[in-house]
Amino acid sequence: MRFYAFVAGPLLWISFAVFVIGSLVRIGMFLRVSSQKDKPVYQYFNLGYVLKTYGRWLLPVNPGVFKTPSFMLLAYAFHFCLILVPILLRGHIIVWEESRFGWSWPALPPLIADVMTLAVIAIAALFLLRRLVSQDVRLLSSFSDYALLVVTALPFLTGYFLAHGTLNTIISPFGMQIIHLLSGELMLILIPLTKLSHFVLFFLSRGATAVEFGRRGYSV
Amino acid sequence: MAEEKSIEIKPDGIMEFLKPRMGARFKTWLDICAHCSMCADTCHYYLSSGRNPKMIPAHKVRFLKDILKKKGKVDKAYLEEVYKTAYHECNMCRRCTLYCPFGIDIAMMISLLRGTLLTQGMAPEGLKKAIENYQATGNQMAITKEDWVETLQWCEEEAAAELVGLKIPIDKKGAKIMYTVNAREPKFYPQDIMEVAKIFHVAGEDWTLPSESGWDDTNLAMFCADVKTAKTIVENTFKRAEELGVQQVAITE
Repeated sequence: MRFYAFVAGPLLWISFAVFVIGSLVRIGMFLRVSSQKDKPVYQYFNLGYVLKTYGRWLLPVNPGVFKTPSFMLLAYAFHFCLILVPILLRGHIIVWEESRFGWSWPALPPLIADVMTLAVIAIAALFLLRRLVSQDVRLLSSFSDYALLVVTALPFLTGYFLAHGTLNTIISPFGMQIIHLLSGELMLILIPLTKLSHFVLFFLSRGATAVEFGRRGYSV
Repeated sequence: MAEEKSIEIKPDGIMEFLKPRMGARFKTWLDICAHCSMCADTCHYYLSSGRNPKMIPAHKVRFLKDILKKKGKVDKAYLEEVYKTAYHECNMCRRCTLYCPFGIDIAMMISLLRGTLLTQGMAPEGLKKAIENYQATGNQMAITKEDWVETLQWCEEEAAAELVGLKIPIDKKGAKIMYTVNAREPKFYPQDIMEVAKIFHVAGEDWTLPSESGWDDTNLAMFCADVKTAKTIVENTFKRAEELGVQQVAITE
């Protein structure tokens, strides 16, 4: 019980703090270093190119999608579900409502939330398989690439088990809740510290390249 | 490999070069590359090698991460591997970047690796010789001002024999176009200069060529990331254009 109180209390706060502050630090570091060493990006800054590149890459309307549609569309579906489910899940919103903040917002219908959760797990499994099977991706992959895929899928898998009591005969719902919390916290903490930081650094990297490529008349 | 085998690797030199150049973009790219392999079949080296995984652009820049991690403490054999990749497995076309979801500029990192190699004197002999020539004479073929002007003069004479009244104007202030050439033209292919002179003449263009450095529009220093020399080469051309007060600078094909 004391362990649960820690996982659901201080550790949750710590995880959110690492996630939010860590992400802000990553942005701050980029801006600080770039202001000294990447001056052309500022000198030739063009909001038009930056917004255009965000639109083209946040939506599946870029050359990558036309070149490798199967992988890219799965990647889009993966990210779409990955971001929306934790935010719009009824079970999570209830926790926010009961928290000191008392915040509330509309939830996804349970069936849709289930489908999206299973989509994250299934696509993560496919990506893992691809990493293992494809000679190309295997060469590029290191331990962290495999591990982070598992870290990303785990909160969804344990969340699904928790919501449906799938493993109730083996692990108590209470135990599963702890595992689910821990897996989510692990992911939150690792986001700013690993390649998962691309969730914010994507905007800076894509934007910086768009400034340069747009100016030269290349595709952004 | 065209380098002298006896040179000693100086890690300090590597880090002195890399540290001030490791901007936020390079750092971010090395950190966030998802290793998704989307760049693989955008690379013509990958495709033309029978899809050899070693040719995947994201794989080629592993050296940069590695050298930084080792703080430049690498040996000659290691740098020879880097040389092979940086010069023979990437021509910095940037096509991979067009398909990278994060816009990771592999070519820029390959250029950084070439610059790193240059700190240890490692670059193709031809490029090293060209750089020496640029530094000494302002052009890659080490053509003196006298030779250059003389070449233009006899080119004018010969071309004028075909097209009466043809001129190759040298240092004409206020001309509309300043024309620049590849230094190989006066050295090996002066007929190219004559052909262009004919086109300018028939088109009735107001053009000129500078007699001082800046007339060679090639920039081979750029290919081994010798930014200092590369900058001087471009600056020379701009200086001549400003002195002559031209509106446009045209470069040879």
